[in-house]
Amino acid sequence: MEKIFNGESISILLFLIGVYGLLARRNIIKTVIALAIMQSAIILFFLTINYEDGRIPPIGDVTIHTAVDPVPQALMITAIVIGVAVTAVSLTMFISLYHHYGTTNWLKVINKRRED
Amino acid sequence: MLLFWLVLLPILSSIVAYLNKRRLTGYLLGLTQLLVFFMALITAIDVYTNGTIIYSFGGNAVNIGVNLVADKVNIIFIVLSCAFFPIMLLFNYHKSYMNKLFLFLFLILQGLINGIFLSNDLFNLYALIEVSTITVSILIMYKKTSHSIYDGILYLLINLVSMAFFLLGVGYIYKIFGTLDLTLIKQQLTNVTSTPSLILPYTLIITPIVLKSALLPLPRAHGTPSAPSIVSSVLSGIYVTSSLYLFIKIQDTFSPAIDTASLFLSLGFIISILGFVLALSQNDIRLILTYSTISQVGLIVFGLSLASDYSYYGSIYHLLSHAVFKSTLFLTAGMIIEEYDTRDIRKIRGLFKRMPFVTIIICFALLGISGAPLFNGSISKYLIKKGSDSTQFLEYGLIIINIATITYLMKYTSMFFGSSKKSKTPPLNQKIALISLASLCLLGGIGGQIFINWLFKLNIQIEALQYLEKTIIYILSLGIGYLFYEFIYKKSNFFMTIRQLELSFNELILTITLFFTGLLSYLLLVQ
Repeated sequence: MEKIFNGESISILLFLIGVYGLLARRNIIKTVIALAIMQSAIILFFLTINYEDGRIPPIGDVTIHTAVDPVPQALMITAIVIGVAVTAVSLTMFISLYHHYGTTNWLKVINKRRED
Repeated sequence: MLLFWLVLLPILSSIVAYLNKRRLTGYLLGLTQLLVFFMALITAIDVYTNGTIIYSFGGNAVNIGVNLVADKVNIIFIVLSCAFFPIMLLFNYHKSYMNKLFLFLFLILQGLINGIFLSNDLFNLYALIEVSTITVSILIMYKKTSHSIYDGILYLLINLVSMAFFLLGVGYIYKIFGTLDLTLIKQQLTNVTSTPSLILPYTLIITPIVLKSALLPLPRAHGTPSAPSIVSSVLSGIYVTSSLYLFIKIQDTFSPAIDTASLFLSLGFIISILGFVLALSQNDIRLILTYSTISQVGLIVFGLSLASDYSYYGSIYHLLSHAVFKSTLFLTAGMIIEEYDTRDIRKIRGLFKRMPFVTIIICFALLGISGAPLFNGSISKYLIKKGSDSTQFLEYGLIIINIATITYLMKYTSMFFGSSKKSKTPPLNQKIALISLASLCLLGGIGGQIFINWLFKLNIQIEALQYLEKTIIYILSLGIGYLFYEFIYKKSNFFMTIRQLELSFNELILTITLFFTGLLSYLLLVQ
């Protein structure tokens, strides 16, 4: 049972939930949320790469055999920062869009564009 | 020469431009742009005399740190990009929206694009592309009309979704190889015993790159109709080029293990024809040009996938030429839209009488894109054709693609004719920018043999008889294109139905997901 529910499978499940959200939801806010779910899935995926039980954080005086691989963690700090920036920019753009079209629905935005 | 200055200097100059007063920044920007251009040139000469330059950050060994690599192919693109940005800035110098924020974003984009060309590390590429996506989407919606806001947010979200796929693929790559450096991955590829384990990461990585390099016919996901003209020009010229360069690099890395050449050969042909149908059915001049980019990218991928050195380098040369003539067309389209106050091609008439200078420049670019003898497109198309010599039907495929190109250009030329009164001539800075681009079109054609010999060490001799044959084929193609346009296009309702087609956000995501699953299942079945 432990083998099935490891970090990798959970993160792929989360990633697919995100993809479902993008495909099936027409609400722009929900699109941004789905994107955030995908990012969390990726962060989880990276952190569990090459992880084994009993490994300790690579801080201080530890030998290379007992510490976890520090590279994915360093990468994910960058990815988190980018993720925050990206969410902020998309929400800001959404506010502008909402001021112009007055709706949160992708289809209604397209219909209003056609009327213009 | 330290390679990172090519990335850092434009970004530093953007910060200075943002903080300083306008009068000073003009000179400062001119100076830094010149400096960056000469640095790129010096690096190029260095690469061509001493071989590939590798710069490792932090002074680490090559297999530990993050590397920037300048080799014989990517340095040409960097020189082109460094020549382009000053021309674009010169072209737009007098525009009212060219304030310090616009300059800030635009120059950052220059640094990022140079970074994408130079970077050899997958995560580095992810970060650079992600930041450039944000920059581009803000530039698209810069004028803040309701159309451009929608285009901007759509561009941003679609590219972010595709980059999420990319990052997941990078995770898998790291899990398998323990490194993110493309050169090392290629070296270790032989140690991988089970090829199927590489298919998922490869598909995850190639899908966003295919989307970014305009190989999926979703125009709203790359160039966009409502952006300022220099932004469209950079997007369709340099930005698509950088993504296609990534495509070349990724294909080069994974090709020993995963063979997708035949798949991308047919995909290139299909996309080229699809781009033509879509371009012909549009009435918006910007959209015609955007779909034309898709069609040309199809041709380039077609040439890259042919197993021949000639067509490979021909495609790279076409990539360079495409950046030149497509940005010329986008800049002139911007001027036309400004003059006529409409993007509808049916309402634009008498361009030759009204804007003679612009029309001549457009003619140069159109001759280049359609592969007329003496222009840059002809050299690259000749090389691609030379590579397809072994198989007869591939050659016919190329002629069909070229006739298709000519047909939608016929539609584009329809706005030249008719009567109109003459307007005032464009300002001097725009004239200089356009003349330099148009002369590049001609220079790339006349000096094409020398350039190719010099850059790729590929010796081509075009004999007089072949030249005559090419000219005859070109004139015949012109005739067929004209007949198709006059008698089939104008009488058919098919194009009308295609014009109404507009995909919503969810449908665009569906297309990307379908492409991803399609590619994945194809590779799993074939392997």
